[in-house]
Amino acid sequence: MSPRRDESRESGVDFPKVMRRRLLWLAALTIMLLASAMLAILVGTLGPIGPGISVAPGVREHISFGEALGAVFGETGDWPAYYSDIFWEVRIPRVLLAAAVGAALACAGTAMQAIFRNPMADPYIVGVSSGASVGAVLASLFGFATTALVGAIITPALAFTTALLTVFVVYSLGVVGGKVYVNTLLLSGIAVAAFLGAVVSLMIYFAGQQYHRIIFWMLGSLSIASWSAVAVVAIAATVGAVLVFISSRDMNALLLGEETAHNLGVDPEGLKTLMLVVAAIMTAAAVAFTGVIGFVGLIIPHMVRLVVGADHRMLVPAATLSGAIFLIWADTLARTVISPTELPVGIITAICGGPFFLYLLRRNRLAGETR
Amino acid sequence: MRLDVRDLSYSFGDKKVLKEITLDVSPGEFIGLMGPNGSGKTTLLRCIMNFLSPPADSVSVNGEATQTLSSESLARMFAVVPQSSSTDFTFSAYDIVMMGRLPHRKNRFAGPTKADADAVRSAMERTGTWEFAGRPFSALSGGERQRVIIARAVAQQPQALLLDEPTVYLDINGQLEIMDLIRSLNKEEGITVISVLHDVNMAARYCDRIALLSDGWLEALGPPSSVLNPEVIQSVYGVEVVVRRDPFTNAVYVMPHSTVAAAPRHGRRVHVLCGGGVGGPIMKALLDAGYGVSSGVLNVLDSDFENARDLHIPTVTEAPFAAVSDAAYEKNLGMMSECEAVVVSPFPVGPGNLKNMEAASVAVSRGKRVVAILPDAGRPVDFVDGKADAIMRELISSGAIPVMGIAEMLRELRRGEGR
Repeated sequence: MSPRRDESRESGVDFPKVMRRRLLWLAALTIMLLASAMLAILVGTLGPIGPGISVAPGVREHISFGEALGAVFGETGDWPAYYSDIFWEVRIPRVLLAAAVGAALACAGTAMQAIFRNPMADPYIVGVSSGASVGAVLASLFGFATTALVGAIITPALAFTTALLTVFVVYSLGVVGGKVYVNTLLLSGIAVAAFLGAVVSLMIYFAGQQYHRIIFWMLGSLSIASWSAVAVVAIAATVGAVLVFISSRDMNALLLGEETAHNLGVDPEGLKTLMLVVAAIMTAAAVAFTGVIGFVGLIIPHMVRLVVGADHRMLVPAATLSGAIFLIWADTLARTVISPTELPVGIITAICGGPFFLYLLRRNRLAGETR
Repeated sequence: MRLDVRDLSYSFGDKKVLKEITLDVSPGEFIGLMGPNGSGKTTLLRCIMNFLSPPADSVSVNGEATQTLSSESLARMFAVVPQSSSTDFTFSAYDIVMMGRLPHRKNRFAGPTKADADAVRSAMERTGTWEFAGRPFSALSGGERQRVIIARAVAQQPQALLLDEPTVYLDINGQLEIMDLIRSLNKEEGITVISVLHDVNMAARYCDRIALLSDGWLEALGPPSSVLNPEVIQSVYGVEVVVRRDPFTNAVYVMPHSTVAAAPRHGRRVHVLCGGGVGGPIMKALLDAGYGVSSGVLNVLDSDFENARDLHIPTVTEAPFAAVSDAAYEKNLGMMSECEAVVVSPFPVGPGNLKNMEAASVAVSRGKRVVAILPDAGRPVDFVDGKADAIMRELISSGAIPVMGIAEMLRELRRGEGR
């Protein structure tokens, strides 16, 4: 565990030991991420980890481990050719998308909590989710979403655009004379989100048959995973995470207040603007393809902080990796729990995340620590 | 490090907060910034740090205008210690001190190095915070936190410390601990210190020079003994004070004169026979109750002589350590006869001032109202083999009113006026 948890040590901090321990933690998380991804690919209705499908009385179609390996590595054997597609066109992109979206949301959440200096901030705090919803609902209303090829491009593109437009509006409201006022930003975010929420509700009211599709999108789902989606979100998540990571020491200082950050040689205004833009783009890219997946960006940074402390040099990479792992498993659960139908993953993240969050909060209060 | 503040003015909108401040700070100096709330002390610190942008060229360090310096290079020269620090996030004390290494990193990508770790460790050992380095910052006491913040400032390896009332939220023990730590950094490492201080006596004790701000103006600048005089403090803070020298440190110290508004004068006068410091509270109580007060006979240098002088009370005096002369005795009797009443305080009586007790008997025999405050032990502190005690008993038997304490004395005096 991290130094701040270690009650047995009487005095001092062994710096090289702390650094080694941190690297070990990150290595362990990376291995867990890879293992989770591989395992999750094997989970599905058809198996190998799964019930299989009953095709005729007494006959079940079920993929064996051997068949799965063969299909993944492109061999031909005495299994249907579409087994390869199940892996390469459905499960692998879906697991990768889950990882990328989870990473993007957790990393963006960490950055937002730092610049708002509020552990309750999340990636949607500046209006990304409500903005994206407007775009997605508009796409559905105009019928783009139903046409396969166009829908797969138009809906995310529209959602991404409206999300960033909303963030821009909220940001402009929070900036006075070149200074970013985070409290104003927070309140404008809430106000704009409430307004856009009403707009979305109004559109849903007139949506008719599109109703179910819109709700499904708004709850968040990874079911439209495609390789192009994986590419876009993975690039956004990677570039974003690197930018957030190299700002991590600056964010540490910012958490002690803007004046203290300035006095330690950090430019608080530049940092806030950079982090807002980076977090907004990461979040918007994720939301555009998957809809609004809640709780990941709020809870993962929080949980990880409870374990590793608030130093962002450690927190940012740990939270990013944990977010990826968490969403892979949440999505695996979403597509198997009532298989063959699937639940929106946002329901799973909220059901798992909420109570666990409360548990951590209680445990920490009882341990006599603040947050 | 040389800091030059030249003709610095600063406004928030229409409100001028700093007005033409000029202040030079030499390397290794300990400067106290003082002044009432809202006089511009914190604003001055923020202008020095360029957190607020002062007019170009009004603040310069080693000849370079701070406006042209990046906040990172400013942070290598100045370390700031605020009034208090807190955070909702779980940083350890070590994490907090490590932040002091931020201005020294090679580039934005660089993490903490072994050299940073060494600087942090020696800063924490220097400030006595190493033993709780691993504990969460938010779980530390106010004094421990402030020491951690000072450790961070030390880890910054600055040429000057800027402190904004660093002890304001600490108890007396914590205050002295922090101030001693700051002074040792100043004296031993030669770090220049510029500190906003609210406690006049703390400033007098630690500072080489005091800069006194009032309503944005630099009202006075100089060593504590010259800045801290009753006139200056009266004009800046609007409080009447007494300035004395601390018998142990020889630093000047300042006491507020009056914490309650004096009752209106009513023209009645009381003469107090006192000495050895016993008379101070009695004279003060009488003044506050609206009486005119006189006293005597007191030796110059007696603590009641100083009390009377500070209270501007007319006093019959005698040369230091000399016995009361006949002339002074007569003068004392004269002053007593002009008063409505005489108060005999339980002052220590020796051969030199036994005449003051005799004066009391004379007053009683002349029909003057005499109130005798009995000492706590029941008899006066007597260095004249019971003579003072005998006079006291005789006083009471011949009509002096015995009272216990100051409150009863005031009651008796008031009752006497009713007659």
